[in-house]
Amino acid sequence: MSVMSKLKETIICLGAGRVTLPYPFKVHPVPPSFRGRPIWDASKCIGCAGCANNCPAREILVFDPCQEIRVLKYLGRRCTYCGRCADVCPEKAITMSQEFENGTNAVTDISQSIDLFMSTCQRCGRCFKGNVLMDSLKMKGYRYDDLKNDRWVYRSQSYLESEPVVDDIKIELEG
Amino acid sequence: MDARERLNQLKEKFGPAIVRADLPDERRLFVHVDPGVVKAVCRYVFRDLDARYVISVGTDDRQYSGSFQVYHDFAFDADKILCSIITHASSDNPKVECISDVVAGASWAEREIRDMFGVESVGHPYPKRLVLTDGWPDGLYPLRKDMDWNFVPKEYDEEREFKFDETPAGCTVVPFGPFHPTLDEPAHFRLYVEGEVVRGCEYRGFMVHRGIEKLSETVLSYNDIPMMAERICGICGCVHSVAYVQAVEAGAALKIPPRAEYMRSIMLEIERLHSHLLWVGLACHLVGFDTLFMQSWRIREPIMWMAEKITGNRKTYALCQVGGVRWDITPELRGELRTLLDKLESEWIPVVSAVLKDKNIQKRTRDVGVADKKMCKEMGLVGPVARAAGVDIDCRRDHPYAAYERVDFDVITHDTSDVWGRVVVRAKEVFESIKIVRQCLDKMEPGPLQLEITDELPAGRLGLSSVEAPRGESHHFVITGENNKPRRWRVRAPTYQNLQGVPGMIKDQMIADMQISLGSIDPCFSCTDRLETVDIRSGETRVWTPEELKKVARSKQY
Amino acid sequence: MDNNLLSMILGGVANVVVILLLAPFFQGVLRKVTARIQSRQGPPIPQPYYDTFKLLGKEDIESGVSPRMQRFATYLSLAAILAVGCLVPMGFHSPMNGAGDAVLLIYLLTLSGICVLLAGLAAGSTYSLVGISREMMTMLTLEPLFAITIVIGALHTQSFRLDTVLSGAVYQTAGVPVSGLIMLCVMLLSFQAFVARLPFDISEAETEIMEGPLIEYSGPKLAIFKYAQMAKLVVFSALFIGLFVPWGSELPFPFGWLLFWVKVFVIVILVTVVAATHARYRIDQAIRFFAALLGVGFVALILASNGL
Repeated sequence: MSVMSKLKETIICLGAGRVTLPYPFKVHPVPPSFRGRPIWDASKCIGCAGCANNCPAREILVFDPCQEIRVLKYLGRRCTYCGRCADVCPEKAITMSQEFENGTNAVTDISQSIDLFMSTCQRCGRCFKGNVLMDSLKMKGYRYDDLKNDRWVYRSQSYLESEPVVDDIKIELEG
Repeated sequence: MDARERLNQLKEKFGPAIVRADLPDERRLFVHVDPGVVKAVCRYVFRDLDARYVISVGTDDRQYSGSFQVYHDFAFDADKILCSIITHASSDNPKVECISDVVAGASWAEREIRDMFGVESVGHPYPKRLVLTDGWPDGLYPLRKDMDWNFVPKEYDEEREFKFDETPAGCTVVPFGPFHPTLDEPAHFRLYVEGEVVRGCEYRGFMVHRGIEKLSETVLSYNDIPMMAERICGICGCVHSVAYVQAVEAGAALKIPPRAEYMRSIMLEIERLHSHLLWVGLACHLVGFDTLFMQSWRIREPIMWMAEKITGNRKTYALCQVGGVRWDITPELRGELRTLLDKLESEWIPVVSAVLKDKNIQKRTRDVGVADKKMCKEMGLVGPVARAAGVDIDCRRDHPYAAYERVDFDVITHDTSDVWGRVVVRAKEVFESIKIVRQCLDKMEPGPLQLEITDELPAGRLGLSSVEAPRGESHHFVITGENNKPRRWRVRAPTYQNLQGVPGMIKDQMIADMQISLGSIDPCFSCTDRLETVDIRSGETRVWTPEELKKVARSKQY
Repeated sequence: MDNNLLSMILGGVANVVVILLLAPFFQGVLRKVTARIQSRQGPPIPQPYYDTFKLLGKEDIESGVSPRMQRFATYLSLAAILAVGCLVPMGFHSPMNGAGDAVLLIYLLTLSGICVLLAGLAAGSTYSLVGISREMMTMLTLEPLFAITIVIGALHTQSFRLDTVLSGAVYQTAGVPVSGLIMLCVMLLSFQAFVARLPFDISEAETEIMEGPLIEYSGPKLAIFKYAQMAKLVVFSALFIGLFVPWGSELPFPFGWLLFWVKVFVIVILVTVVAATHARYRIDQAIRFFAALLGVGFVALILASNGL
């Protein structure tokens, strides 16, 4: 009879009790393997740009203002928290933290920028070794991502241009 | 029969029209045929050899072979074979014979090939624009290699309107969508209604097209694409990423370590568990039964926590890479997973038995949204929709992948072909999934998770992969390419086929049954819409004023 | 005579005030109990009060085919149900005893049903028209049930006076009140439809036709409609109590009065539990169900006219 099944259903429901939590006063515990916002450890970073090359969302920008200095910037806007950057980093400088409350109206709360002194490195890419051949650096050399407009530029050169020209639309894969 | 015997059958019938055949292994068959016989070959394969239609794909192969290519994929489920009938169209004025009059389920696929590549299907019964937005200028075909991925056409015409078909005589139009409380994504079913009975409908979709396939050919690389693939769908992400990497591995002939295969199977079954529990709740919500909706979601929540513990996220597992997986199940997690499965089973059994005996729900779902065996064959319907009609297909058994050949499970079918059958099939498949995960946990051996890939992947190879998503067969088509990215990637989600069956399901039914019929295919429109238009503005006639929408949003008081 | 008139007016006003004050409270109880059955917290019990105040403060947007008719239908809906409230005893005697009788009660009940039809017609959108066609079909088969009950009561007591009919008149036969018991079962089975709750809230099916007749109503008008619906729950409960469970109303104030409100509370809880555990029926299934009940009602009427 329908009444019996409805009674059974009601008993199941009432037996469960209240399961909703009054977030943010009570938070469900976050497991240690949770993939939250990635955090760079500047002291370990060697500036190989492996993370930038393997970020599916192209949210890590690399710019070389001169021979000695490399700027690495994590924008954080479209980051999908996939953890590829942490996987491929040869120095384990990136940790996927457990921060998930990343909503903010100032992107500077999330973005991270590292200025690295590269000494005499000629950007050959030898310092970076991917897990598989497919993750290896395809863009070795000097990088020209547009930090002012937070834009990834598909271009790397084996020499440093004095006045880098950034073309708006076309993808250029050199070097 | 294996692939070679099937090829011999084709050769007997068509002889010299078969230009070339590739058999990478005994379960794959790629047959190149002359353009003049492609319809006859497809008719023979579909009708006489009783294969199931999967998808038709177009590719722009002009820089390699000088022409466009069209692939028609079929599946011989009983023989475990996936086969592709390949033909070509000349690069200037490309035309192919249309197969939609023989294979009704090919209708959308051929319209899409025309929209994306400009390859005309001669004789198509309904050659209307499918994917491109109304204002997109004619003559520009997005998936051709000479169009840039971020090209913005200057001739985009904002004023150009969508032309609806003629309303049949005696019917009023009840618009269902594009915004409707039942749907999570925009889709427009224009119902032609007589009183309360639906006499026909016109579907207009592809409103959330995202340009995934173009991106995969241009700006992403092999290992970036799984991250995008798992975002194709909001529920079945793992399925798409697994299917994609399997297609690449099939094309490049890579064999992944066994532990990785078990991991993929486990995560796929965990995804199936959470998807089916979600769907049972959603179906109850659609018939107004919110209480069971809340309860099945309450039971489902621990699965999401478990997935978060294993992979780091509740839904976007970021599991797959070409050649392996990224996450592992530690011994503690193994124990927790087993406890979870036991608890899930013990909570789900009383809910299932309560639902199966509930006359109230049965009244709303019996003889509603009927899709019988004949329609399933004609339109190529897959998944629980087909299994509820008694069609015994399941990719885990018919085209085995990952670790499914090493585990035992039953394929649940039902014989009522209606929404009730789909409820029963999904409710019982939960138990089969639990069985599979337990067997995988027992049989897993320690080992590496990722294959060592030290060479560049060979280019120009075709890989096909069919994975059983919670909604049906998800079929991925990959042609490997140069520069660490594929040349072509085509995603055929199960909803792509099942949506084509909806007009048949809702014909001569009442309006009130529309939502549950649509909901019973478990529609995942995001899996269906895979291209993005750069500047979207839906120019179709909207019956809803913004005030109405606001009011509806405000007045929901349940 | 003057005293009588004054006491009638005061009684009516008191009833209306009590309904207006308490209707949102019962709605809040309904939502809280539904939430508990669904294993969640639910809104606080005063939430419907907050919702109504919020809606009343919103901009009154006039959309729809005929705004004047929309305004009229809105006010009429609340007025009709409050008028019924003036006639129904709520813990005391029926306030307007001499001014109206049971026939007026039946007409006013039908009027409050018609308001929804007017509302949907005035809005003129496809979904509202589908909604009112459902509502019309439901009304045709449902409204007679209340009328039959009242007529049976009148047949037994030979009077249409409100305080006689609404004090268990259906049971007042010589022997076993067969017709009364039959009508009790019939009304129990159809009560959900009268108060427009699951499984019979077909005309306002949210997931199917986006609120049906109320689709073009926002802000203050929507507040009034929702208020009318909340008031319907209280008023129909009071009617049900008056017709079928009147015992205890003779107790002196405050006990009789408190007992009345306890009974209303119990009815609200029952309505909630049934609504939370059922799926919505389709219109053709619902109509078949009501038609069957109507047939049973006619049988009861025949029995009553033969003295049973």
